[in-house]
Amino acid sequence: MGLRVGGPAEVFDGLNVLELGSGAAGPVATRYLVEQGARVVRIESARRPDFLRVLFLTKDSKFGLDGSPMYVLLNPDKESVSINMATPDGVELVKRLVGWADVVAENFSPGVMAKWGLDWEGIRTLRPDAVFVSGCLFGQTGPQRKYPGFGGQGSAIAGFNHLTGWPDREAHGPYGTITDSLSPRYVAVAVVAALLERRRTGRGRHIDLSQIESGVYSLSEMIVRQSANGESEVRRGNRSERAAPHGVYPCRGEDRWIAIAVEDDDAWRALVAALGEPEWARAPGLACVAGRLAREPELDAQITAFTRPQDALALAERLQAAGVPAGPVQDFADLLDDPQLAHREHFVPLHHVHLGELLFERSGLRLSASPGGFERPGPNLGEHNRQVLGGLLRLSEAEIQDLVAREVVA
Amino acid sequence: MLAGLRVLDLSDESGFLAGKLLGDLGADVVKVEPPGGDLVGRRAPYLRGEPGPEGSLAWLALNTSKRGITLDASVAAGRDLFGRLVAGADVVLETPRPGERDALGLGWDAWAADHPRLVWCSITPFGRTGPRARWRGGDLVVVAMGGNMKVTGDPDRPPVRCSMPTAYYHAAPEAALGILMALHQREDTGRGQLVDVSLQETQLQSLLSAPGQFALHRRPMQRSGARLGRTREIWAARDGWISFGLRGGPARVANLAATVAWMGEQGLAPEWLRAYDWKGFSHLTVSDDEIERLEQAFGAFFAKHTMRELYEQALARRVLLAPCNDARELLEHPQLRSRELFVTLDYPELGAAIEHPDFFARTADHAIALRRRAPRIGEHNGEVYGQLGMAPCDLEKLAAQGAI
Repeated sequence: MGLRVGGPAEVFDGLNVLELGSGAAGPVATRYLVEQGARVVRIESARRPDFLRVLFLTKDSKFGLDGSPMYVLLNPDKESVSINMATPDGVELVKRLVGWADVVAENFSPGVMAKWGLDWEGIRTLRPDAVFVSGCLFGQTGPQRKYPGFGGQGSAIAGFNHLTGWPDREAHGPYGTITDSLSPRYVAVAVVAALLERRRTGRGRHIDLSQIESGVYSLSEMIVRQSANGESEVRRGNRSERAAPHGVYPCRGEDRWIAIAVEDDDAWRALVAALGEPEWARAPGLACVAGRLAREPELDAQITAFTRPQDALALAERLQAAGVPAGPVQDFADLLDDPQLAHREHFVPLHHVHLGELLFERSGLRLSASPGGFERPGPNLGEHNRQVLGGLLRLSEAEIQDLVAREVVA
Repeated sequence: MLAGLRVLDLSDESGFLAGKLLGDLGADVVKVEPPGGDLVGRRAPYLRGEPGPEGSLAWLALNTSKRGITLDASVAAGRDLFGRLVAGADVVLETPRPGERDALGLGWDAWAADHPRLVWCSITPFGRTGPRARWRGGDLVVVAMGGNMKVTGDPDRPPVRCSMPTAYYHAAPEAALGILMALHQREDTGRGQLVDVSLQETQLQSLLSAPGQFALHRRPMQRSGARLGRTREIWAARDGWISFGLRGGPARVANLAATVAWMGEQGLAPEWLRAYDWKGFSHLTVSDDEIERLEQAFGAFFAKHTMRELYEQALARRVLLAPCNDARELLEHPQLRSRELFVTLDYPELGAAIEHPDFFARTADHAIALRRRAPRIGEHNGEVYGQLGMAPCDLEKLAAQGAI
């Protein structure tokens, strides 16, 4: 909320964001804004809860909708208001909040916002200079716009699954449904570009972002290659078309690995030196990348024999010191101990009322004049009803109680 | 949306997309290459397989919406020119080898004091400072160190990455975002600042809070290949692969029931499956034997159909099923076609016309769009250096000095 008393101003101090929607892709986009001081109010409802609130919910879950670590971790510093959008009064409340908002962000299926009168025509009537962003899977137009997918479907459709895995096995995407982490960045970029434009023109605008399209845009090289040469890019394990050796090699311990990427001939010379100039590595044919690519299986076998007894991190440190791009394949425990991430204060510990201490995660960018950060865990459902309805919309306690009694606030 | 914004793009392949993004938003992006061209960035594959920097498909794909100049800032005349370019820029985007540009006195520190409004963005493997600030790493290394690789792939093989450089795809919009945030703040303060982007750190967002969840329960996560947790997510179709989650929960009950109804219409749903209680089904608590029985039934059905047949029916029946598309399938995709995602650019000197994705988001006025093809080597030297007041004879001298 940007209430760091006496601290430096943050980029979005004073910016009001109203968020409707659910899951990861929408909330991660506004997390960038909240990290830099925006005030983000989420409209939610117990009647149709965000699916991240119920993702791991079982009969034994003690804290119901308020105990989902994933929801809590992806929504720091946001305020939650529970409003039943199936009631006309609920829709009216949200319309009043649109009047307050600089940015309205939603990731519902196309048509849902329009049903409430909250399509762009509706929004701009309520707040002419609003920046309104819609971020569903396939976009607001087109014959498949209502396709009901999650990130798993988005990653497959956008091409990432086809590109990930081993040539002789199934396609499967990078862990974590990549369109759910990639598309929020594009949503945030479009919103901030529109805010900059608004400062100049005074006008808002609607941005229609498709999670799948922003994935395909990222894969522009693959599209161009197909169009120009008729070549469909394939999955090739960890190998590169242009560099060798280029792979992940076993190290000492269970499921421990090192990634080594000999990106150019200088790195090869450095690797050979670090290996101790063995006979096999000094073959003149290996000095240039073409020769190494031609003998990749043999090189991989030799490097595997070298790496297998070694500690992954210690070896990576040695190779890096010698000028070879290399790094241990880190698991989550390694990330929590990573000195570089610690230096960047990537993990932000905050206390949650039910879950105890949790580690929240910063984005990958740091601004020298605006440190940013998080101060509160993701909200309980409706935690800020009074703060928003009373404080922001100036409803009296009696009015709020009436809304609760009529299940408008629910 | 960014009309009038001047960006000097010094990036290598890890930052091409970041500069392109700003160009597609309307900024005037000037891509700087060494004299003779960026022979690393203008890499293979080449158009029609004919080697040559002007036909590099990676370059043509990722440097659209930019003008292009050549410059060697390590010679004296080039350094002077570089200073004049920086003085005229709102934003500098760089992806230096750790410490490299700073060592030459050409980094942020050298310019910040004299150019207080300048926004300077560095994309580096691990960030500009810290114990690993000098470590080298491209996509493979930062994906490995960012935590994603360890949980991607099959349990009986090494961890694996995506074959296209997703580390750069994650970092590019994050860098563009940092730049836009800095510009937003400049409107309030009148001052620019440094944007420090770590490729490794941007990777962590791809885990969608899994490290934080791990810190809570300390249960190590294993690679599960084509499965998501306990149940299969990727299935064989007759001609490729599809994604279909055999997972429970209220959001998926209708989906699972609709799939079984579809199987039943084709006589491929056994009696026990047609009567299945999906409301009571949870992938978290169901037995291993039961998972196997379900997977056999669904798998046999999917294997009888092509990816396209399955997807078309999934659309009609609102089933959560998706094909694992390749580039050819994307270029033909009816939904993407109807939104005119692709635009064809002509390359007369190469005798080619190539389709590109046109935008990452749509607006009614097409404000986010590919503006121009990627520059040829030094294509805009005359134009850009002309704007600095240089005449053609000056440029000849600079070329003779090896500066451009």
